[in-house]
Amino acid sequence: MNSLLIHKAGIASSVQDTGRFGALSIGIPPSGAMDRPALMSGQHQLGHRNDEAAIEMAYADFAATLTEASDIVVTGAPVSLRINQRPVRPAGVHHIEAGQTLEIKATNQGVYSYLHLSGGIITALQLDSRSTSPREGIGGLDGGFLKDGDTLPVGACGKTTRPADPHVTIKHQRTVLALRFVAGFQFNDFADEAIKQLLAEEFVVTAKANRMGVTLSGVHLLSGITALYSEATCYGAIQVPPDGNPIILLNDRQTVGGYPKPGAVISSDCLRLAQSRPGQRVRFALCSPDEADRIGWLEQHYLETRLRDIH
Amino acid sequence: MDFELGPAGETALRLMFTETPQPALTRMLLEIENQAKQRFGRTLTDSVVGYTTLTLFFSASALERDRTEAWLREQVEGMTLTDIADHEPPEADVVLPVLYHPSVAPDLEWLADDRNLGIDDVISLHSDTVYFAYATGFAPGFCYLGSLAKALRTPRLSTPRAAVPAGAVAIADAQTAVYPCESPGGWRLIGACPELLFDLNSKPPSRLAVGATVRFEPVSESDFRALGGVIP
Repeated sequence: MNSLLIHKAGIASSVQDTGRFGALSIGIPPSGAMDRPALMSGQHQLGHRNDEAAIEMAYADFAATLTEASDIVVTGAPVSLRINQRPVRPAGVHHIEAGQTLEIKATNQGVYSYLHLSGGIITALQLDSRSTSPREGIGGLDGGFLKDGDTLPVGACGKTTRPADPHVTIKHQRTVLALRFVAGFQFNDFADEAIKQLLAEEFVVTAKANRMGVTLSGVHLLSGITALYSEATCYGAIQVPPDGNPIILLNDRQTVGGYPKPGAVISSDCLRLAQSRPGQRVRFALCSPDEADRIGWLEQHYLETRLRDIH
Repeated sequence: MDFELGPAGETALRLMFTETPQPALTRMLLEIENQAKQRFGRTLTDSVVGYTTLTLFFSASALERDRTEAWLREQVEGMTLTDIADHEPPEADVVLPVLYHPSVAPDLEWLADDRNLGIDDVISLHSDTVYFAYATGFAPGFCYLGSLAKALRTPRLSTPRAAVPAGAVAIADAQTAVYPCESPGGWRLIGACPELLFDLNSKPPSRLAVGATVRFEPVSESDFRALGGVIP
C-alpha cells in the first residue's frame, strides 16, 4: 500500500474530508475541511467520488515523500510548491514518483491549504468520516494533528484526472470583509446598544483563530444577558462572552454553549473568515433568512455546476 | 405554553420554551425531536436537545423554512406539559459506581469543610439523589445532570484545571457530571467513576443520553480497583 511519510507537518495539519453528521447529540462537532469548496475542488481534479480525505494545512510548512507514485493536487490558500527541490506552478494535477520530496509552503495569503493525493488518505472511518476532531481525539491519525515522522496510508492512484480548477475562496482579499448574519438565538434580548455597535462598528480578526472559531476584537459588546441555559451552537454562531469580544464558531466548535448569541454568520462568509489572517477588518450586516437561503442555494448550485460529477 | 421559534443560522431551526428546565419539559422536547426525525428522515442531519431548547439541523438547501416552521408550530401548539407523564422512576436507568475518597477527589475535603459537613454527609447527599440528564455537550459523552442537593451547590473554580482525569465525578452550581475523557475543566471534583462512559466502538457510544435518570453508588477502594479504577 502507498504511504505518505511526513517529514515536516507544520503547525496545524490534519486529515479532513467534508466532516461528519449526526454526532452533535453525543457532543461531537462536525469538523471537516475549513474551506469546503477548496476540498471539493481537489476531489474533483483527482476524479474522487467518495469524499476522499485530504491533508488540511494551516499556514502550510509541509514536507513529505510517497512510497509509491501518485497524483497530487494542492488547493485552498495559495502556496509555493517544490517537487524534488524544483519549484513548480502549484495549479493543477502533478505526478509524483516514489521517493520524490514534496514541499508546500504558505505564501502571504489565506490560512488553509489542502494536499490531495489520488485515492485519498485512507485512515479509518469513525462515525462515517475521516475528519480529525483534535479536541475530542476522534478521526484522522490517532485523533490528532499530524506530527513530523507520521506515516499516512494512501489509497490506490486513480486513472481520472481533470484540468486545473481555478477556484480560490479568497482571490482578492477585501479591505473589509462583510459578515452577513441571520438574526436568531438571543438577538431580541441583547442590549440595544450592543446590537447598534455590532451593526455599526468595524472589528478585526485576532490571532485567537483556529478550527474551533475566530475571535474578533473591536468595541466590547455588552449583551446585558447574564444567565443562559446551555443550548446547541451552530456553524457561524456569533458568541459573545463576558469580555465582549465576539467569537465566530466554526467547524470544531463545542456542540453546546451558554454564552449569548445574536445570530449566526452565513456559511459563505464563514469560509472567507476562516481563510482570513489576523488583522483582517470585518463588518457585520443583517441578512434575512430568505436571503441567506438564496445565497446558500446559489453557492451550492455554482459549486455543483463547476464540479459536476462529484457528490 | 410560551415558546420562541426561529432560525439558528442558515440551516437550523431553534425551538425554545420559556419554562424553567424540568424533566417533563425535556421529555416533551425529546418527543418533538422524535416526531421530527420521523417526519423529515435524512434531510434532518442532526438535532440537539438543550435545557429548554430543541435545535434541528437540516442538510444545506433541503430546509423548506416556512413549511418546517409551520409544522413545528403545529406540533408544539398541540402539546402541554401535563401530557407528559412526569413519574419519578423508582430506580434510575443508569447506576454508576463512585469512589468518594480524597485520593481521587481533590475537592472533597474542601467541600465538606466549607459546608461544615462530614465527608460521609457529602457522600450521602450526592448519592441519595436520582439525577436527570438535561443536556449533553462540552465533550463526547459529557452529560449535565440535575438537580444537585442545595447543600452541595458550589461555583466553578475561578481557574479551571488544565487536566481533569477521565471518570472524575464533578459538581458545579446545581449540576453534577462525570468527565468521560481527560479534559480541562473548572468543576469541583468529589469522586471517581471506574466505568467507561464513552466508547466509539459501543452502540450507542455514550452511556448517558438526554432524558436518562442516573444514580451514583458509593463503592469501596477495593471494589473501585476491581472495576478497573486506578488510584494515582
